[in-house]
Amino acid sequence: MNTVSVMQTASAAGRAADASAPVRIAVRDLDFFYGAAQALKGINLDFFDRQVTALIGPSGCGKSTLLRIFNRIYSLYPEQRAEGEVVLDGRNILDPRIDVNELRSRVGMVFQKPTPFPMSIYDNVAFGVRLNERLPRSEVDDRVEAALRRAALWNEVKDKLKASGMGLSGGQQQRLCIARTIAQQPEVILFDEPTSALDPISTGKIEELLEQLRSEFTIVIVTHNMQQAARISQFTAFMYLGEVVEFGPTNQIFMNPGKKQTQDYVTGRFG
Amino acid sequence: MTSTLQASSTSTAPATVPWGRVRPGRRLADRLLKGACIAVTALGVFVLGWILAMLVVRGVSALSPRIVTAATPGPGSEGGGLANAMAGSLILTLLGILVATPIGVMAGTYLAEYGKRSRLAEVVRFINDILLSAPSILIGLFVYTVMVMPMGQYSGWAGAVALAIIATPVIVRTTEDMLRLVPNGLREAGAALGAPPSKVITTITWRAARSGMMTGILLATARIAGETAPLLFTALNNQFWFSGDLMGGVANLPVTIYQFALSPYANWQELAWAGALIITTAILLLSVVARFVIKKDIAR
Repeated sequence: MNTVSVMQTASAAGRAADASAPVRIAVRDLDFFYGAAQALKGINLDFFDRQVTALIGPSGCGKSTLLRIFNRIYSLYPEQRAEGEVVLDGRNILDPRIDVNELRSRVGMVFQKPTPFPMSIYDNVAFGVRLNERLPRSEVDDRVEAALRRAALWNEVKDKLKASGMGLSGGQQQRLCIARTIAQQPEVILFDEPTSALDPISTGKIEELLEQLRSEFTIVIVTHNMQQAARISQFTAFMYLGEVVEFGPTNQIFMNPGKKQTQDYVTGRFG
Repeated sequence: MTSTLQASSTSTAPATVPWGRVRPGRRLADRLLKGACIAVTALGVFVLGWILAMLVVRGVSALSPRIVTAATPGPGSEGGGLANAMAGSLILTLLGILVATPIGVMAGTYLAEYGKRSRLAEVVRFINDILLSAPSILIGLFVYTVMVMPMGQYSGWAGAVALAIIATPVIVRTTEDMLRLVPNGLREAGAALGAPPSKVITTITWRAARSGMMTGILLATARIAGETAPLLFTALNNQFWFSGDLMGGVANLPVTIYQFALSPYANWQELAWAGALIITTAILLLSVVARFVIKKDIAR
């Protein structure tokens, strides 16, 4: 990796970092376990409103694990458990009394592999909309169109909304999944390596999209690609062995990291 | 380019056996095994072909319009057809599959989506496997004991129940297998949108697995359409027109074939051949349709 170019992109994006923005998600003393194995140890992090925060670190460092806590998707698996506090809009989402389905309509997620449902493009996008609200048909139409436009997919699919979502290309499928998520009008969107299964052109489109979505949504993205983190994020958390080593504005993490470990990782000397 | 490559390899490695040559024994073993596979396959296909050829030759000559217009003949009477037996078989099979499908689909869904590796699920799976391989005559005897004896008569209802018991484990198994093929990412994506598990299962997982599940139901239908033993003790038979009354014996193809084939009357034996051809053709058609359903889904 070209260290200089990473630093240049980082300084370009990092200038927009706004640490005075309100905190959207506050993580306090968070531990996470897969059965008996502890995967996260005492995480403390703030995610700022309408900023893109990138989670970086070597494989197995716990960045995806952390992401999967924010919508409690981990609770699909009974052997996984989180302890501590994750506060979203004044409520601890780890509280067992929280309705996870309502939480998930506020916190959307886009996965590494595109996951179109086996139904039409229209129904894919309308799925989440119909789940929470009973809207008249015309209004669902409007929401679907708006979401597809927002996801930069409308022009490619407007004439085949009734066609199966599985028939789209990988990059289109991923934008369909993003449309499906934003159609629900969440507050936070979690991206779990959204471009690692895509070609460079599709990746470019998704990155552009992320930049636009930032005006409306708080975004947390897990990525293995450090240039990507530098290009698109305002804040970066570097994780290693289940702990946050360093967190700060992206340009600081990439250009002037406070820890030797971070420096080694972002310059490609380890990891 | 090639010559330089070769030159450098000969200069570095001691010139023994040139690389890339197949060991002598390996090619022989390959041929032997391939030959054995072909021979065994040919034997199976030959026997199947023989049975089918015999069935077609004897069955086609026995076919006539009255097969579908006339009821089964009484002992010693001339002519006759199979219309009542075909109608009865159709109704018993349909009833059986109508009972088995919801039970099988729901049990299979439980195993794949809820039970997974839990103790209860493992027990249900084990029992289902036993039921799957249970001799069908035992199921006939079971239904005889719990339905026919208390009711005091053979009945179409008992026949349908016996067929349902045979079809259910087949549907449970295929449903579970097909649901497990659905990538977990789809379930997570559904859950991530805030859909409760029931919604994810009915609108996403079932839809993703529907052609496989349909195939399982079709194959179960084919399986029970030809079952004889469970009907011997339950629906038995009836030489008269199907009256719509499922109390009392109901005519059906498999038992008719069984009784007529063992009879001394020439016209009965002819009808048995015709019935066997009809039932085989019907099952073959069902299987082909099942295949078609799978193919279509893969192409999608």
